Amino acid sequence: MKSIKTAVIRGIWKYRWQYLMILPGFIVIFLFSYLPMAGVQIAFRDYNIFKGIWESPWVGLEHFTFVSDPDFWTVFENTIWITVLKFGFGFPAPIVLAILLNELRNPLFKRFVQSLTYMPHFVSWIIVAYIVEVLLSHSTGLVNHLLSLAGFEKIYFMGEMSWFRPIVVITSIWKEAGWGSIIYLAAIAGIDPQLYDAAKVDGAGKWRQMWNVTLPGMMPTISIMLILSIPNLLNAGFDQIYPLQNPVNLPISEVIDTYVVRTGINLGYFGPAAAIGLAMAVVQFALVIATNQLSKKFGGSRLF
Amino acid sequence: MRLSLGEKSFQWTNNVVLTLFALSALYPFVYMTALALNEGLDAVKGGIYLFPREFTWVNVSTVVTNPLVQNAFGISAARTMLGTASGVIITGICAFGLSFRQLPGRRWLTLYFLVPMLFSGGLIPYFITLRDLGLVNTFWVYVIPHVLNVWNLLVMRSFFENIPDAIIEAAEIDGANTLRIFWSIVIPTSMPMLAAITLFTAVFHWNYWFDGAFFVNSLELKPLQTFLQTMLANAEAAQNLRQGANVQEINDAASKAVTPMALRMAVVVLGTVPILVVYPFLQRYFVQGVLIGGVKE
Repeated sequence: MKSIKTAVIRGIWKYRWQYLMILPGFIVIFLFSYLPMAGVQIAFRDYNIFKGIWESPWVGLEHFTFVSDPDFWTVFENTIWITVLKFGFGFPAPIVLAILLNELRNPLFKRFVQSLTYMPHFVSWIIVAYIVEVLLSHSTGLVNHLLSLAGFEKIYFMGEMSWFRPIVVITSIWKEAGWGSIIYLAAIAGIDPQLYDAAKVDGAGKWRQMWNVTLPGMMPTISIMLILSIPNLLNAGFDQIYPLQNPVNLPISEVIDTYVVRTGINLGYFGPAAAIGLAMAVVQFALVIATNQLSKKFGGSRLF
Repeated sequence: MRLSLGEKSFQWTNNVVLTLFALSALYPFVYMTALALNEGLDAVKGGIYLFPREFTWVNVSTVVTNPLVQNAFGISAARTMLGTASGVIITGICAFGLSFRQLPGRRWLTLYFLVPMLFSGGLIPYFITLRDLGLVNTFWVYVIPHVLNVWNLLVMRSFFENIPDAIIEAAEIDGANTLRIFWSIVIPTSMPMLAAITLFTAVFHWNYWFDGAFFVNSLELKPLQTFLQTMLANAEAAQNLRQGANVQEINDAASKAVTPMALRMAVVVLGTVPILVVYPFLQRYFVQGVLIGGVKE
């Protein structure tokens, strides 16, 4: 018994440097991930800044009355609309782009297109909001200039609710489609060239080759990316949405994340905001678990 | 090779479509630069879409000499440098420690780092934790919470695991200790991966504005992107940018009518230029980075 104990201690001692190297990261995760996890109890307490998290009185489910608040459900609906639209248009965009890029004959031109389309990924959503503002400006924006040249009425893009969702979808494609195509281009590069030769021998033209060779060759990557996007169902993208919000579009642009910031941080209603945050974290957790199960079933590779 | 008519027309359409898409990615930056370099009052008339019509440096020089902007730029630069250095080093050594397969308790430690990816306490408890730790309204809120990035940790760990054991064992036989192995074997062999992670971390810090907006009140602690976000919500705030420019310039500026819009465009250009300047040289490393993360399985 004693010898086992000393063996364990000796094993640990042997790796003392490794433990020391892990320690700073261990502490940081404890402070900034585990402490907030323990802090979710304020969703069930009447948080008082002087008493702190652990001493504030319990209030049960009082903060969860948001489930019967129609405002919350409007916000919920807004969130789902945006995530579904962004997924519906934003998911296929990099796939299509990768296929089109792959058809380019001139390698220099291909690299030119790639370099430019990757670039927007590296600017912040704040900059994108400025781009939207100046491009769509009613008086001086290029888009309205082109509209009036073509004989159409000018449009107050940021002053009409109905334009909010298209703007969100278009900017997210503009910013991320190029960057997202990298992984699909790698998948295309991994397709056996003999498959194309065989297709040509069988008389397949360009379209048939794309449809019957390129696309099936990308399928494993596509399905992994599809599965990985499931947990984003409730994540409309705070960084993108918040800078585009204004009083006019708020009824349609308020999403869960922005609502939590507004009620919790700006207005100081910690309890209700924490309750919404907790409910969303639970749904998110369920989605991740479901994703993992799906991934196990199809790809065989678990994500964690 | 002879192409059929259908294929030829496809090639043509494809070239045109991709050229347009590529130019659309570039155009907004050209447009905003033109506005930043044009006289403010003249720009209000519209019609500037590609080049400045009444060229002037006055917007840029007003902004660049403004103490508020200089300060915000400095905060951004400081958080990017400190945040990137500490983030890569602490995540890197942690990943190296975890990469030893025989490490007692390795499974539990890995699980400990994975759980926060699955479940988070949400924004409000996070905010209260930051406040309890005394980080709210300090510069350190930009750096300390980000020194460990779990995603980077996993990428780095699996990269380190793939370094052949034989190399490390040989060094051990030669009497090198763990730190020495890390320094003279692991880091040099992992350079491309480390370069990619360093770049991603730097871009993250330069672009991140959320903590500056909600965890910090003092204006003098706001990074440039948060500063821009404030001016987005409140266009008139840009008027303050005229303060601090010297009198000569104010008169000059007044005569040439510097508008809030023109000043804002100048700050936007200032916030974007550092990235657009380094991007062409480093693009290759970024792309490598995606593929390192992607082929993890």
